[in-house]
Amino acid sequence: MRHLTYSLLAGLALAGPGLAAEGTRIQVSGEIIDTWCYYSGVMGSPDAVVGSAHHTCALWCSAGGIPVGLLAEDGTVYMVLKVGDDAQAAGGDTLLRLAAHSVEADGMLYERDGLRYILVSDVVSDLDITNQNHEDYGNVPSFSIPDPNK
Amino acid sequence: MLKHLTALVALIATPLAAQDFSEGSEARSWNLYAEVPAKFEAKVVDLVCEFTGDCPADCGAGKRQLGLLRTADDVLVLAMKNSQPAFTGAAVELQPFCNQVITVDGLLIDDPELGARNVYLVQTIVPPGATETIKANQWTKSWAAEHPEAAGKGPWFRRDPEIKEIIETEGYLGLGLEVDEAFIAENF
Repeated sequence: MRHLTYSLLAGLALAGPGLAAEGTRIQVSGEIIDTWCYYSGVMGSPDAVVGSAHHTCALWCSAGGIPVGLLAEDGTVYMVLKVGDDAQAAGGDTLLRLAAHSVEADGMLYERDGLRYILVSDVVSDLDITNQNHEDYGNVPSFSIPDPNK
Repeated sequence: MLKHLTALVALIATPLAAQDFSEGSEARSWNLYAEVPAKFEAKVVDLVCEFTGDCPADCGAGKRQLGLLRTADDVLVLAMKNSQPAFTGAAVELQPFCNQVITVDGLLIDDPELGARNVYLVQTIVPPGATETIKANQWTKSWAAEHPEAAGKGPWFRRDPEIKEIIETEGYLGLGLEVDEAFIAENF
């Protein structure tokens, strides 16, 4: 019993704050997305708030400092905190220019409280926008393109 | 000994159990499918610092993503959105309280199907030692101060120089100006 207690105490110590987080190196392919619209549903279904349909809104949210995500092909979302040496993930220029692009990224993964965070060390490939879903969903939201008739 | 062990196991298990932070919350609904009002005390942390030990004293001056390390259960909440309905994040609102313990009120988004857990829209902040609440709505003022050259009418996101430059070269759909032209001709 005493051994079990010490083991539990050791486990508690390991789970507590203040210790360096253990990252895992990963390579992941997917689309750079606007996480607020994707998670909140404020602009529509998850399929509508990605790709070319949502490109302009993704620019707005990225420039506005909303966390940018990497939506992997299996549906996992990785919150991007850094790209290369640029840690300005809240409104910085590097991520702004990748909005809605399909990329392959190499970086360090940190998992905490149900979310996955990635610090991208290298964008291995940038295929620009491959998810051309505007024919299915239009432009989302509809005011993202100003009406030329007004 | 058994009693102590039970208490220890309960202590370990606490962060794993879903807790209700809606008590006392005065958060305004955004009518979102998965929103849950939540008011809690938390330490403002720089997420890159939290994971890697790279810790500028100012938590990145509002340009790094920030988290809220909740006092009650040590859960790290991602601060995703401020209170303005204007495509604006939370880092600028929280950065003045870098590494300080504050009380926030707002909306958690909890949608397991999409993997949304512990993400948060901050509506109000009570600074350390204060009793009065401040609104988390300073982003647009901060943007205007950074971009005096973009002063004018209309929302910030129509006037932002970087956004305008990308749209002028890649189009609203991001596929080039010719694709935009055809889409606009067909849909407007």
